[in-house]
This record gives sequence, C-alpha cells and structure tokens, in this order.
Amino acid sequence: MQRKLLVTALAVALCLAFTPLAMAKEIKVGGLFDITGPTGAVGKDYAAGAVAGEKYWNQKNVLGGDMLKLIPNDYAYKIPEAVNLYKKYKDVDRVFVIQGWGTGDTNALRPLVNKDKIVFFSASYDGNLTDPKKNPYNFFIGTSYSTAIRLAMIYAKDQGAKKVVFIYPDHPYGKNPIPAGKDYAKKLGLQIGPDEIVNLRAIDATSQLLNMKKFNPDFAWIGGTTPSTAVIIKDAAKHNLGTKFMINCWGFDENLPRLAGKAAEGRAFGMLPVAPFGANVPGMKDVVAAAGDKPTTLHFVKSWVSMMVMVEGLKKAKAAGKLNGPGLKAALETIKDFNTGGLCAPITYTSTDHRPNTSMAIGGVKDGKIYLVKDVNFPRQKAYIGW
Amino acid sequence: MPCGLFFETYQKDESIFPTLWLKVWMIALGLFLLTFPFFSQTVSDWLGINVLNLFNLIFIYIVGAHGLNLLTGYTGQISLGHGAFMGVGAYTAGILANLGWPFWLALPAAGLMAAAVGMIFGIPSLRLRGLYLAIATLAAQFILDYAMRNWSSLTGGSSGLIVPAASIGSLTFDNDFNFYFLALGFAVLATMYLKNITRTRTGRAFVAVRDRYLSAEVIGVNLFKYRIMSFGISSFMVGIAGGLWAYYITIISDEHFTMWLSVQYLAMIIVGGLGSVLGSIYGVVFMVTLPELLRLPAEALTNVYPDIFVIFSSLREMVFGIIVIIFLIFEPDGLAARWHTVRAYWKLWPFSY
Repeated sequence: MQRKLLVTALAVALCLAFTPLAMAKEIKVGGLFDITGPTGAVGKDYAAGAVAGEKYWNQKNVLGGDMLKLIPNDYAYKIPEAVNLYKKYKDVDRVFVIQGWGTGDTNALRPLVNKDKIVFFSASYDGNLTDPKKNPYNFFIGTSYSTAIRLAMIYAKDQGAKKVVFIYPDHPYGKNPIPAGKDYAKKLGLQIGPDEIVNLRAIDATSQLLNMKKFNPDFAWIGGTTPSTAVIIKDAAKHNLGTKFMINCWGFDENLPRLAGKAAEGRAFGMLPVAPFGANVPGMKDVVAAAGDKPTTLHFVKSWVSMMVMVEGLKKAKAAGKLNGPGLKAALETIKDFNTGGLCAPITYTSTDHRPNTSMAIGGVKDGKIYLVKDVNFPRQKAYIGW
Repeated sequence: MPCGLFFETYQKDESIFPTLWLKVWMIALGLFLLTFPFFSQTVSDWLGINVLNLFNLIFIYIVGAHGLNLLTGYTGQISLGHGAFMGVGAYTAGILANLGWPFWLALPAAGLMAAAVGMIFGIPSLRLRGLYLAIATLAAQFILDYAMRNWSSLTGGSSGLIVPAASIGSLTFDNDFNFYFLALGFAVLATMYLKNITRTRTGRAFVAVRDRYLSAEVIGVNLFKYRIMSFGISSFMVGIAGGLWAYYITIISDEHFTMWLSVQYLAMIIVGGLGSVLGSIYGVVFMVTLPELLRLPAEALTNVYPDIFVIFSSLREMVFGIIVIIFLIFEPDGLAARWHTVRAYWKLWPFSY
C-alpha cells in the first residue's frame, strides 16, 4: 500500500516537474545567415540582430508562454547550402517560418517554400517577392530594391542630374534592381552610361571608375555591400570624380565612414529602409540595450524589425488558433500600418500586395557619422507590385 | 583456418568479392541501403541532421568522384575543371528538362554534353602533363564558369535556372525519399562500372599511361586515344552527377560550379585514396559528412550561448580545413589505405607477425 502511495506521489511530482516544459511550446524558427560568405561583412550584424531579437521577445514573453527558438546557421551565401539547410529545417526541425538572407537563395527557395507552405522572411528586398500571386509565402520588411532605385533616380533628377551609371557586383543581389532602375531613369529622361561590374570582394575599382569617368555621370548607383562600396568611394576620391553615389541598403552603414573616411563625405548617399543604429526614435532604446556594449550597424536593426514583424504575425496567428505556415501567412496579411517605433516606415501587408512600405530615408555622411538627408516616398501604385 | 588469401586461379584472384565473408557483408550493406529510407526519419530526429538529404548528396557526388578518380587516380591526369564539367551536365539537364525532354533522355544527354566538353579541354593532355595539365584544365574551369554566369539567356545567369523534378512514367522523384532510390541506383551503377573498367584491357591501358607513359607507348598503347578516352568517360560521369544534382536541388546557379567544387572533388579522391574504387566512396562520405557533423556542436552551443554562433560559424570552416590537413599528413594514401591496414590487422589478430 505504502509502496503504491510512494509511486503515485513520485508520478505526481514528476508530472508537476515537467508541466512547465510541456506547457511552454517552442516555436522553432529556421535561420539562414551569411557569416563567412561574400556578404558576411553585413551578414554578421544581421544574424546578431535576429539572435538578440529572439532573446528579447522571449524575455518579454509576448507569445503567452510559447517560446521562440531561432536555429541560426551560416550558409556562406551558397545556394546549395541554403537548400540543404532548408531541408533540415523542414524535415528535422519541422519549422513553419524561416528568417532568410540573400536574393539568390531566397529566389531559389521560392518554389519549395510555396510547396511546403513555410513563411519565409528574407533580408533580400527583391521587388519580385512582393507579388503574393506568385510568391504567397515570401515576406520582407524594408522598401524593395526596385522602389529604392526608383527613389534614387528621382533624387538624382531633383539634384539636377542628367547622366547616371549603374555599378554593381555580378550577384543576384546586385543585379536585381538594375532593370527597374534603368526603366525609371529612362522615364525621367536621364541618360544611362555603360554598367560597371565591381565584385563584392574587390579591393580596387580604378579601371571601372576610369572607364566611368569617360562618360562623366552626375550620379552613380552602387549595388554592393559596405566593403566594396568603400573601395569604389575611395577610388572615386582618388581620381577626383565629381560623381555622387547613391547606394543600395546593404552598402551604406555605420562602417562606411570608417572604411572610406573623408571620401564618403558629400559623395556617398545611402538608401535607408530602417533607421541607423542608435537613431533618436522611440523603438531604438530596446535595440541598443539588446546589442549590449558592442557597436553595431543598421543591419542589426533590419533583422530586429524582421523578427518584430514575425512575432506580431505569430501573436495574431496564435490568437486565431492557427500556429502553422498558412495561419501565419494569413495573420501577416492582416497587418496594417504596423508601428515599429520609428525603426522603419509603418508596415502593411495585404493578400494582394506584400510590399511592406514604399518610403525610406536617404542618408549622407558628415564628420564620420550618418545623418538624414531627406525622407522620400514613392506612391504605392498597383503597377509596381512584383517588380 | 587460413590466415591469408590463397587463390589458385587468375579468375579467383580477379573476382570482385573474393571471400564468402565479403559477400555476406555486401548483402548486408545492400539490405541496409535499401531499407534505410524507411527509418531515416528516426535517425534524422535523433542526430539533428537530415540524413536522407546527406545520403542523396553522397550518392550524387560518388558518381562524380568515381569519374575524377578514373582520370586522376587511374590515368594520372590532374583535372581542375571537373566542377565546371559537372556544371555543364547540370545545365544541359536543366535546359533540356525545361524544353520538355523526359528525365531518361535529358540525363544521358547531360553526360554526353559534359563528355564532349571534357574531351575538348582534354586535347592539351597529349602534350601537357602534371601541373601543366592542371593549369590547362583550370582555364577550362574559368572559361565555363564565365559562360555559365554571363550567358544569361541560356543559363539564367546568376539568378539561376529552375529545373522540374525528375519523373519516369508516373513516378516523380520530387522528394528526398523517392530520389534516394534513384541516386542509390546511379551510385551503384557508377561503382560497378569503375570497378569493372579497371579490370579490362582499357583499364590496364589507363594504368599503364599513368605509371610510365613512355613504356606504355612502346608496348603499343595509343596515348592520345586513351588520354582523351579517359577525359571523355570521366567527364561523362561527372556530367551525370551534375544532371542528377540539377534534378535533385531543382535550382542551379553558377555559384555552385566554381573552382571550389573542382578542388573539393580533388580533395575527395585524395582524402579517400587515389586509384581506388573504395577511395572515392570514402572520400565523398568524409567530405560531405564532416561539415554537417561540425554543425552539430555549433548548434548545441548556440542553445546555451546564442551569441557564440557567429564566432562558431567562422571556426567551422577552419576546423574543416585543419582536419583535412591533418588527414593528409597522417594518411597520405587516403582512407582506403587506412581501411586496408585496419582490415589486415584484424585479419591476423592476435597472431600478427
């Protein structure tokens, strides 16, 4: 009798001990980041932001007891490696949401994501991804590259530019917005010079810039990452080019003034989908605290916002009792004018338009620091969904 | 009980599975491989690795590694272009599949196209040997790499080319489970082919060319013919591997078929064992599995210290490199040689002398 009692007591004790574990469900989130690959220079900060975001929202317990579990992995910007990791996340970890990275791999995974109904947040703001008819499960948080390049052309035109040139690496990310940029430049009546290819790991851009000098453009678009952008800017200063540079969002950050020095001042203008790290906006306090004492860049803010929007979607999906891929997708599509505390423009997704927003800021460099030149806004036109 | 192998006929000496034990083990291995997908999910969950995906990659790379081993290990010609030849196969299969060709036609076409390209770049092998040939094939790598990236109308450029899943009749190989049997079939075929070709007249001619080309020529081996043939067969196999890969991953871009892949192929057969059928298999298993295994401690540690993940990712590449170097220092003849040593030890144990 006593033995039976003991066993029962033990069983009850065990059950009690494990109850919190059983109740706290884990929501696994796959993470594809580039740490060691060609875009690792900006990828590191992005990955760190996602990791910090996971910790922050778990501490705030926003999902009513459910815990986020980010499974971060480095795929070194290799598409096959991304496919391998994707298969692991799908079959082994059974995730229904992934925080992804580059343009090439995000596009490569599109068919799989749609087939498996896994929500895919990416750090690639490729305009093609914003058409839910073609890519119902793809989401991102910043102004698309195509919109950014159109805004850059408008800004250049406003500054009195007549001639533009496009400089980009031979990568999906670099090449992605170029057709949209050229199309819009033509519409604005700008004269387009020959393209220049500068690779992400370039340490010299002299030949390309000398080539460009013959055309002598007023403005040039740079579609690289920060290190290659710094190389271009420095070489442009060295050869006394009067050209000003409009830089896509992965090539302009807090490291650029450090890498390019004085050359960046008055010459480099970046398209900023999110506020620079440490900017004076209400949402930034938590971000800075989460980053600890390490100085970081606006790429950290980007992934933070990406996690923030994902959490918002998860909250809604949970309230609807549909914590799965289709449930999260439907929940995200109800998000309207979501306030990120000024970290980026208010975010809206609908079932017919996955463009998060169409406004951003243009940043410049002064005294080794980023300052805001201007807020710009592109009208949300139906014709531009999906490109 | 005999403590060694005693053959009384040449036929027995040349047999593929000389002992009963070996036959029993091979049957066991065959059964294991055929039934593995049915319990692979359990293994995957337990290990935290998608093992079915790993096996599929291993099978595909085995086909290619056998090809390179025939060229480098058996015929003695170094190629640094096999990554690109694999790309030629992949793109051929991908483009033909998009044109509506069935799998069973597109795949051989991929092999043939790669063979044709490989033979063209193999022509310098008549005059060039060793490092010079390596550089000539390296040029092939760069030329093909450039073509794949910039011939966008054909290859989709750096955005890649989407390939439909393979299907034969009503059977579609659109998931890891189905593809496993297809890839296993090709790996077995390639292994059997390599094992058999090395036992034929042609195979012996290859080895003769490798060991001393002058003597080979003196005894009547047509050097040019065999060198080009070796390039052809080898590129055909790596082209088939590329075709399979395209059908498996279902998206191909130039990023995969860079010099890094060529070097990786070479590393596979060197780590495994040059001029050995088992060598290519061991090498592939080692090179494909190790990076996955190295991910495990990183993931485990990330659970405890989330911030460490960034540092660990960079370390992983380094550890991988170091392990390969250590391997080459302590086992320069490759894993296959080590395997023979271990087997010989146990065969004679405890009466080794």
